[in-house]
Amino acid sequence: MVETRVSQHLVPPEPPPEASQPGALVWLRKNLFYSRGSTILTVLVGAVILLFLRGAVGFLLDQGRQWEVIPRNSANYSIGSYPRENIARTWVSLGVVAFIAGLATAAWRPIGRVSPGQISAAVRSAGIAALVLAVLAPSTFGGRTEFLIAGAVLFVIGQAALMALGDRAIDAFLPTLVVLGAGLVAFLVVLWILPISSSTQIPWTIVIAAAVVAFGVGRALIQPLGAPTVKRSVVALALFALPVLYLHVQRAPEIPWDRVVDWSAWIIPIVVIGYAAVIFVSGAEREAAAIVNGLLVVASIVVWFVSAPMAARFLLLMLTAVSLATPTFGSGEKGRRTVIAVWTGVVLVLMYLFAIGVGTPTLETNNNYFAGINLTFMLAIVPMLLAFPLGILMALGRTSTMPLFRLMSTGYIEVIRGVPLITVLFFFRFGVLNFLPPGLQPDAILLAIIGITLFAAAYLAENIRGGLQSIPKGQYEAAKAMGMTTAQMTMLITLPQALRAVIPAIVGQIITLFKDTSLVSIIGLAEFLRVANNIVPGQPDSLGTKLENLVFAAVVYWVFTFTFSRASLRLERRLGVGVR
Amino acid sequence: MTTERVTAPQTKPPLWRNETFLKWSAQIGVFVGIVALFWVLGTQAATNLDAQGREFSFRFLSDPAPQISEGIFTLPENGLESFATGIVNMLRVTFSGIIAASFLGVIVGVSRLSSNWLLSKSATVFVEIIRNIPLLVLIIFFALLCSLFFPELSNEASGPVWLIFTRNGVSLPWLFPTDTFWQWGAFLALGVVAAVLMFRRRDRLREQTGQNTHAPRYAMGAFLVVAAVGWFAHPIAGALGWIWQLLESIVSTVPVLAWQLLFAAVAVFLAVRWIRGFLDSLRSPAGLAKLTDDDYFRIGLAGVIGVGAALVFLFIPAITETIADVTAFVFGFFDQKFEFLRTGSPMRFARPEIIKPANFASIGPQGMTMTPAFFGLWVGVTLFTAANIGEIVRGGVLAVPKGQTEAGLAMGLRRSQLLRLIVLPQALRIILPPIGNQYLNLAKNTSLGIAVAFPEVVATMTTLANQSGQYLPVLLMWMGFYLTVSLLLSSLVNYYNRKLKLVER
Amino acid sequence: MTSNGKKEPIIVCDGVKKWFGDFQALRGVSTEVGEGEVVVIIGPSGSGKSTWIRCINRLEVHQEGRIIVDGIELSSDVRNIEKIRSEVGMVFQQFNLFPHLTVLQNVTLAQTWVRKRTKAEAEKKALDLLERVGIREQAAKFPGQLSGGQQQRVALARSLAMDPRIMLFDEPTSALDPEMIKEVLDSMKELARSGMTMMVVTHEMGFAREVADRVVFFDQGQIIEEGTPEHFFTDPQHDRTKLFLSQIL
Ligand SMILES: Nc1ncnc2c1ncn2[C@@H]1O[C@H](COP(=O)(O)OP(=O)(O)O)[C@@H](O)[C@H]1O
Ligand SMILES: [Mg+2]
Repeated sequence: MVETRVSQHLVPPEPPPEASQPGALVWLRKNLFYSRGSTILTVLVGAVILLFLRGAVGFLLDQGRQWEVIPRNSANYSIGSYPRENIARTWVSLGVVAFIAGLATAAWRPIGRVSPGQISAAVRSAGIAALVLAVLAPSTFGGRTEFLIAGAVLFVIGQAALMALGDRAIDAFLPTLVVLGAGLVAFLVVLWILPISSSTQIPWTIVIAAAVVAFGVGRALIQPLGAPTVKRSVVALALFALPVLYLHVQRAPEIPWDRVVDWSAWIIPIVVIGYAAVIFVSGAEREAAAIVNGLLVVASIVVWFVSAPMAARFLLLMLTAVSLATPTFGSGEKGRRTVIAVWTGVVLVLMYLFAIGVGTPTLETNNNYFAGINLTFMLAIVPMLLAFPLGILMALGRTSTMPLFRLMSTGYIEVIRGVPLITVLFFFRFGVLNFLPPGLQPDAILLAIIGITLFAAAYLAENIRGGLQSIPKGQYEAAKAMGMTTAQMTMLITLPQALRAVIPAIVGQIITLFKDTSLVSIIGLAEFLRVANNIVPGQPDSLGTKLENLVFAAVVYWVFTFTFSRASLRLERRLGVGVR
Repeated sequence: MTTERVTAPQTKPPLWRNETFLKWSAQIGVFVGIVALFWVLGTQAATNLDAQGREFSFRFLSDPAPQISEGIFTLPENGLESFATGIVNMLRVTFSGIIAASFLGVIVGVSRLSSNWLLSKSATVFVEIIRNIPLLVLIIFFALLCSLFFPELSNEASGPVWLIFTRNGVSLPWLFPTDTFWQWGAFLALGVVAAVLMFRRRDRLREQTGQNTHAPRYAMGAFLVVAAVGWFAHPIAGALGWIWQLLESIVSTVPVLAWQLLFAAVAVFLAVRWIRGFLDSLRSPAGLAKLTDDDYFRIGLAGVIGVGAALVFLFIPAITETIADVTAFVFGFFDQKFEFLRTGSPMRFARPEIIKPANFASIGPQGMTMTPAFFGLWVGVTLFTAANIGEIVRGGVLAVPKGQTEAGLAMGLRRSQLLRLIVLPQALRIILPPIGNQYLNLAKNTSLGIAVAFPEVVATMTTLANQSGQYLPVLLMWMGFYLTVSLLLSSLVNYYNRKLKLVER
Repeated sequence: MTSNGKKEPIIVCDGVKKWFGDFQALRGVSTEVGEGEVVVIIGPSGSGKSTWIRCINRLEVHQEGRIIVDGIELSSDVRNIEKIRSEVGMVFQQFNLFPHLTVLQNVTLAQTWVRKRTKAEAEKKALDLLERVGIREQAAKFPGQLSGGQQQRVALARSLAMDPRIMLFDEPTSALDPEMIKEVLDSMKELARSGMTMMVVTHEMGFAREVADRVVFFDQGQIIEEGTPEHFFTDPQHDRTKLFLSQIL
């Protein structure tokens, strides 16, 4: 029979056997030389990398390279050929953006944490890179000692920090906010100490001060107002500030008052009718409201086809939209007040946009009132914001049960996704002017924004559709069972879940869009790549420096894109998308 | 009260509360609105063009076109030839790019999975660098690198060499097809068939005997034998020329009206067949399922498309004529390529050469030459796509669950067998669709060649558009071209997807 | 049967230790399994049961001690590993059927590639085994089309098709719905009665009582107590064993 065995005492755990051996050698044995094949591979790959690095460093630090053109053209890179005497306008814009960013930081409180171990390791890696560069640099390279010193210093700092942290290097975390603040302070210190650009010291300080002040204001407001209100206000402020900065501050347009007065015969009646209509609709029975809405639809179509001013056509269109949307603003006295406020806001914004948009810029900038890295960022951010509603509509259309909507959305999405962005940009740069009435000739930047928006919307729609389709059927059924209408179900249940599920995909798309903005350089807008590829090398004192500028542009794009993608990875991990 | 309500006949809801009516009126309303918008834009365009004394037309396709820096027609006689040059140039970059990017991408992906630290780290660095720089910057950079920093073409040397790697371009030795290549091509096709048959036979033998029958080697051998025989025997395949000639004469002698009727009939037939198939798919043993709005819509659409296509064929003979002309042209083209007992070796080996037409040396027409623009575009799209493919391959292999490997190991499979029989087939399903997407992106990204003045479709057609002011026709041609390419590539990918799809519960 | 260890043991473990990084998962496991013996291993989750039986067909690599299976010592010798793996079958908690192959192909794959049988032989064997586990009619389906219990029985047939001398089971019923557990356990009981050497990690105490020759209680990477089922369920000695049994019974 089977004998019974009982062990009386538990064996305690022992340390693993290899722990006694020295770390570095074990690491090398395990990762680089664990078999004959791997040894050969390591040697081969190492040789290739060494050769490549030597060639690349030798090429980049060759005597003929003129890297000093980069700092000399820093103004060109940031604002292109924007008139230098008006540069204060750009600083104001930047200050406003910084202010809003500060408020947003206060409202949303970046909760992530940064590991000091990672930072130290990064510093150490930077040191190693500088040392490698110094060692591999060609003999003619003058800055070898500086690189050696800088590399050694960085390496020692990083290594010392790592050793000081010891075991805590992995576990300890710094709040992101502290790291962010430290980064800003470090930036200012460097700016004031190093002789890079003395003319920007004061403006940068003010801009950063604006951000810090805004952060304080935001924190102070959260207590009395509550975080949701602050968040909503920040979004509203941003949405309002963007067009104002874009159309007003940067362009300094001349407002054609005579034209605005000419419109009044059309505008004033529409505004008055608008008030009457929304007040009536917000309190009316369903049938009566439907009749008013029907009349408005007919009127807006008719007005669209008679030769009314563009402003009037759009205003009536917006009135119809507001009136149709009235039930969503709530019922009773509060709903009525909201809808009146909305209509007032729509009128003001629309009239402002039209007055400004039609006015010609007073600055002689050859349409470059946004340029350089400024334009690059604007071309990435604004189209994405505009593409969002359109993309959501298309995604809903494509997943709808209504065949015509599905057909139209699918057709749009597939056609746009089938053609390269550059063809769309070309058409919007040159072709689209043929289709507009002679009075309406938007400038090149606006057209590029529209083109990119329409393009991005198709891709965005596909992402959102993915999210919509990932929602379990049970969610729809539960919503229906609670008596929700299709619109309520979409707005309250399915769309929020879908958007949340596809945040990583959308961030990925923003990154792609940021890189794709470089394409507008082909249609002649002075964004960052065009500055690097055409404008700077075209300056009389910088001829023949295309390569240096291109490498610089590549590095700048790389830094931004890499940072974004790392941040999005963190976000993805925090949201736990796909893990759930 | 209550009894009354129960017994009262069901009343139809008023129109404005009828769900079906509301849905359809909303759809039709939006649809009409969009059509109206296009109509407004169209009439505005017509007015604008009128004011400039121009009109919407494709005439630029037959008008003279400017010179092109490289391609099949460097001095195009008309816009159409210019378009064709752009297409061929674009396809050259696309196909060579797809091949190179696939190789490089698989190497990168596998390297990232390697347990060798140095290899996987360098692959990671490569991917992170390439993916985070805009493709356009890469393209401009490499074109610049080639045109400014490669060695200069030596002015003394001339004559054939083995490799030219200069700022005038890169030129390699190459095998060029000669005028008997097509005859040999027929044998190559035969070789592929032979290889497939051989593979099937050997594989069946393996299953029957349990021995390793080396099916891939035998298949390769079969192909090589047929190809080798064809190299000498290809004049016989020239007999195919008669068949092409016959087909051509059939196409061109049958009157256009007959073709029109045939095409119309085929269109209607296809529509009817689709509808019947659709209805069959809805039919269960219990009878035909109740049709939804959507089903009616599909049937209606299929019918409208079928009948519409038939009417178009019947009433616009130009389309049928064009189709017949093109078909006849294709057959005629083949006819020229095949001629019974035409001899000569099908491929010609040529080395690049340096010629000296005037004071300065240049690269001769021998050899396979990449201009700096081609080089920049090709290297750019290849590296960019390879980095993406590398990530896809890595993700695909990692996505095969660990349990699969363990189960295979537990059954005693070797590492190599495990990879071939278990991991790769499953990874392939995950990998193929996104790789197909990458190929599509590569094809679209070749349009960036315009930034380095590489004359592909967008560049050549932009020139024509600027010259004639016909932006809309050019946009339509771009759309037509790229959508065709997308459709072809994606139907290929879909075909494979369907073949590989897992059966789920 | 295991007559007092007189017969040559087919599996010998001697002081087997295994670390994951700094964490020691096995702290010196020593025992022997005789030919035809059915050993049931129980113990709390995370105690190292899976790690141990996965060491026996070298899905995990032990760092110290010796494991001898069927007279062959497990070392880094590739030939020995392949030999042992083809002699030792394993059934996993998550079935691990190959989703791209049909049920029949799942069962014939290793037969043709490892055992080098002809297709006809392999298919006959596969169909016989599928018959034996009661799902012959599902042979042409893909794993995704089967229920969990059916999939696990395919996995069993797939292992048996290799004519293993030893079968390892790692919680074969833990991923199954209650009504499917019985069908899998029935197949396993039948296998045990046919004289197969089996090591089974399971929480099914009924199975242990009915067919086990020996029950091993495992905790903290070591064998705490082993003995016959009667001894085990009526008169456990060690405090930990008592505690564990009181919690699950
Ligand atoms: N691949 C691995 N890497 C690190 N730790 C592991 C790994 N596999 C198992 N472990 C750890 O080893 C211990 C034993 O695991 P396991 O053998 O799966 O336990 P059981 O099967 O008894 O539940 C657990 O603490 C587990 O966390
Ligand atoms: Mg376990």
